[in-house]
Amino acid sequence: MIHIKDLRASIEGKEILKGLNLDIKPGEVHAIMGPNGAGKSTLGYVLSGRDGYEVEGGSVEFKGQDLLDMEVEDRAQAGLFLAFQYPVEIPGVSNMEFMKESVNAIRLARGEEALSATDFLKKAKAACQQVDLPLAFLKRGVNEGFSGGEKKRNEIMQMILLEPSLCILDESDSGLDVDALQVVANGVNSQRDGKRSFIVVTHYQRLLDYIEPDYVHILADGKIVKSGDASLAKEVEKTGYAWLGAKAEEADA
Amino acid sequence: MSQWLNQVIDRASSRMASGDDWLNPVRSNALHQLQTQAWPGRRTEAWRYTSLHPVEALAGRAANESVNVSIDSDSFAVPGLDSVDILFVNGELRTELAQLDVPAGVHISLLSAPGDAARTVVGQVFTQVKPERHLFGLVNDVMATEGLIVDVDAGVKVTRAIRVINLVTDGTESHNRVLVRVGDEAEVTVIEHGAGSAASMNTAFAEYQLGTKAKLEHYRFALHGGDAIHIGGSHFKMGESSNLNSTLVGYGSQLSRLDVDIEHAAEHAYAKFNNIYLLAENEHFDLHSTIEHAMPNGTTEENARGIVGDNAKAVFNGRIHIHRDAQKTLAELNNRNLLLSRRGQINTKPELEIYADDVQCAHGATVAEIDDEALYYMLTRGISRSKALVMLNFGFIQELVEQMPNEALRNWLQPQLRERFVNMEVK
Amino acid sequence: MSEQIEQAISRKYDAGFVSEIESDTFAAGLDESVIERISAMKNEPEWMLEWRLKAYRAWLKMEEPEWAHVDYPKMDYQAISYYSAPKSMKDKPQSLDEVDPELLRTYEKLGIPLHEQEMLAGVAVDAVFDSVSVVTTFRAKLEEAGVIFCPISEAIQKYPDLVKKYIGSVVPRGDNYFAALNSAVFTDGSFVYIPKGTRCPMELSTYFRINELNTGQFERTLIVAEEGSYVSYLEGCTAPQRDENQLHAAVVELVAMDNAEIKYSTVQNWYPGDENGKGGIYNFVTKRGIAETNAKISWTQVETGSAITWKYPSCILKGDNSVGEFYSVALTRGRQQADTGTKMIHMGKNTRSTIISKGISAGNSSNAYRGLVRMGPNADGARNFTECDSLLIGDTCAAHTFPYIESRNPSAIVEHEATTSKVSDDQLFLCRQRGLNPEKAVSMIVNGFCKEVFKELPMEFAVEAGKLLEISLEGSVG
Repeated sequence: MIHIKDLRASIEGKEILKGLNLDIKPGEVHAIMGPNGAGKSTLGYVLSGRDGYEVEGGSVEFKGQDLLDMEVEDRAQAGLFLAFQYPVEIPGVSNMEFMKESVNAIRLARGEEALSATDFLKKAKAACQQVDLPLAFLKRGVNEGFSGGEKKRNEIMQMILLEPSLCILDESDSGLDVDALQVVANGVNSQRDGKRSFIVVTHYQRLLDYIEPDYVHILADGKIVKSGDASLAKEVEKTGYAWLGAKAEEADA
Repeated sequence: MSQWLNQVIDRASSRMASGDDWLNPVRSNALHQLQTQAWPGRRTEAWRYTSLHPVEALAGRAANESVNVSIDSDSFAVPGLDSVDILFVNGELRTELAQLDVPAGVHISLLSAPGDAARTVVGQVFTQVKPERHLFGLVNDVMATEGLIVDVDAGVKVTRAIRVINLVTDGTESHNRVLVRVGDEAEVTVIEHGAGSAASMNTAFAEYQLGTKAKLEHYRFALHGGDAIHIGGSHFKMGESSNLNSTLVGYGSQLSRLDVDIEHAAEHAYAKFNNIYLLAENEHFDLHSTIEHAMPNGTTEENARGIVGDNAKAVFNGRIHIHRDAQKTLAELNNRNLLLSRRGQINTKPELEIYADDVQCAHGATVAEIDDEALYYMLTRGISRSKALVMLNFGFIQELVEQMPNEALRNWLQPQLRERFVNMEVK
Repeated sequence: MSEQIEQAISRKYDAGFVSEIESDTFAAGLDESVIERISAMKNEPEWMLEWRLKAYRAWLKMEEPEWAHVDYPKMDYQAISYYSAPKSMKDKPQSLDEVDPELLRTYEKLGIPLHEQEMLAGVAVDAVFDSVSVVTTFRAKLEEAGVIFCPISEAIQKYPDLVKKYIGSVVPRGDNYFAALNSAVFTDGSFVYIPKGTRCPMELSTYFRINELNTGQFERTLIVAEEGSYVSYLEGCTAPQRDENQLHAAVVELVAMDNAEIKYSTVQNWYPGDENGKGGIYNFVTKRGIAETNAKISWTQVETGSAITWKYPSCILKGDNSVGEFYSVALTRGRQQADTGTKMIHMGKNTRSTIISKGISAGNSSNAYRGLVRMGPNADGARNFTECDSLLIGDTCAAHTFPYIESRNPSAIVEHEATTSKVSDDQLFLCRQRGLNPEKAVSMIVNGFCKEVFKELPMEFAVEAGKLLEISLEGSVG
């Protein structure tokens, strides 16, 4: 699905990703954990092509294409989806209008026909129900006045609607209570079909109780310093990230 | 002094000399003011960006009679709107007031033939709310013979909207006046609906007096275009703890100029004023708003948003004036503009004039500022950059439309605005 | 409104002394013969006199502007003397030793020693007293670098081609009422020329002093920065405490050629008049710069003085990628009135401008920001950001904001924000509870409010400006 090779990226001259390697096959769920400031969110922004995030080196191949060479919307149309940690509010543009535009742009890019208004509405309603989002939210401005939890659910609702190949969930658990967490996790799990891949970025192990990863990677100081299976997350839960400092020093010595 | 204005003064003088208009004493005061006021030019601050040439060019032209003009009522129909409609065509009443199904507690009458109660309203409202500095307001004072009076009794909560429709047709000159008194603790919705694109000259001024705890939902639609000249104003005097929610929508025309004044004449009043202008072709739209906080503890929130395409020109002047005694005032004004064309123009001036220290006042104005984060978010959802810009741009108008309390009006206005906008974008 | 704040903002004007110097002063009045005499006193070439007379004739046809938010009685332009110079300056002293010691003492008392060895290293000073330049320091050192820094009266004689080429090129003779008057009667001022590719080795500074009674000061400053050059120029002003109003109508023109940068800073401390509004300087000034391609003009001003300030240092961003900046602190108290701001005229592509204006009003004063941002039809990708903040101290003062925004380019972005705040009794209480006296507390709050502007001043001036504000806010809290 995606091959990230020696990826280096910076913001305003400051290097954040310092040679990151990651291979994800179709259907796999990879969790990326790490301390604050490790570059977890940066990874999602770089892969989605956000302005201001300069790629300094390395390569990313997504479904056989050079991802780094593509525009933001082309990446999305190719099937890459980023669920934001802090989704922005867009007053005046309704959620419905927004998603309809989005779904059809992606469908057209895949060579499919645009959905009719009725078909779209049907799908949108189903997606909302799946994440427990009242239908009234479709009429409201995108994320406008939504609570933190509602914004996160709105992100998962969009993911369900857009049917991407690779989903990057950026701290989709932050600020959620257990019930909301379960809703988000169920939404994600419903989309696991053996073909779709996921990168689950999280600070805590908690989310991984609900979304079971195939692999867990520890990201520290812009690199993946340790990889393992789901048990690695449990280990982190117990020991925290403090040991990373010692490890890094050992590695340098 | 302009020839056009001299003609107005002559016509008014001779009418007042011959007639027995009961308002002559008030009108003659306005006439006197008119005789002494200078004709605005480029150096007149209030007309800095709007030329009155189109009005001057009317001098010497005889106005058409409008008696037999037929009107297509579809042109102003708003589906689903529960309203009492009063139609004026070229300043002449076309509705049988007696046939109207007027809600209890609401009294509608004409300036030319008021009952005793209405006379009291006129005494309190006519020229009492609108500031004297508006030259065309004075013209309206002497020329508007067929005004409408709306009086809402204290405590009455009216659910049906009162809609005054002012249509203009080719070659005419007309003057409309609306006087509204909203009694203490009364609630009412008033819609001033103006339209017409034919070459014509129309002034339309409205004065509103809000009693203690009165609540007014107000709309002014200035949906003109083409060669129409439309100059008018809506003026509000806020009673204690009264509440105003006003939305103004302007399409501009050869010359469109509106003045809105909101005076906090008592404490604890709340005024919300949104306005939208969407201009294309050669349309010119000039909105001057003045918020006077004369008393403490008042709140005003004003939002003005405009999109300008083609050769159109937008002028916005938003003044907030906090008087010495108006401590604890909250007043905010936000003006955002988008210019879509290299031939268009936007001139905006938000003004703060502050004489009290314990207040929270702010204003902001932007031209062509796009939220980069919102744009990026839309791109990550696969929407093309150009499409995303259109959605964001229209979204910022739509945001104000959505704040209109009346659903029927929202549903009627939204597609109209969208169509205008899309046509502008296509060019 | 607490009494402490009231007291904390009252202040003494400590540059208010009068120097006992014998002067040659023209009788009050203005006509063509007065202009001819000024021109003759300065030994000017014929073209300069012609230029002045044209300006005068234009001025006669103009009307005094009334749009500013200031209020003052009509001025009698025939009651002003248009030329005054210390007698001792008649023979043009060749060195500092020949200058009247009383003159030198005046500048020493103002903290501007004119002996080079006593001066702040790295600052060259042109000292203008009433209508003439007394001395310009460090000229030799500047000449080595090819920099010309001299009184404009001298430049008209020594570098006529340069002056002729640039004078009036930024502020035309008939630009506005006060600029026209200045063009007719200007007496002295500074001329600066920075050659191509040169970074001026020191800060240049002009210190203006009005001394004589009933005299107007009409100085004219012209700064030309050739391609790729850089100069930082500072300007300071004071005047004696007198009961009569005095007129100061200056013109400053800046020319920044391609890739050049001019930084112009002002600390204006003209006598503001007493607390009842008696006396004080009327400061009606036209300052404007033209920035060519990639050039940058930065205005920084700290305005604490004058009875009336009417001043809009502006940038014409003519060249692509040129940059204009305006940083301003205007403090008014007593009966002072200020109407000040800037104009940013964006003509070139990708031009950028930043406006940061901090207005502080106290007492019975009135403080207005007036600004214009214009995006021309060719200003593709141009950007402006404006921030106007007003701080009100007390409930008898006034603060106003009048920003004009005109855009004719769909790709240009303009952002304007304005806020108002006050020094609250709560803030004051907190500071006092932490052991600060009210004066210190107010000055701290005000200083914090102005920080964004102060950091733009050259080091030497930043200290002076901070002190000036502190003095301005100093009172007699018992």
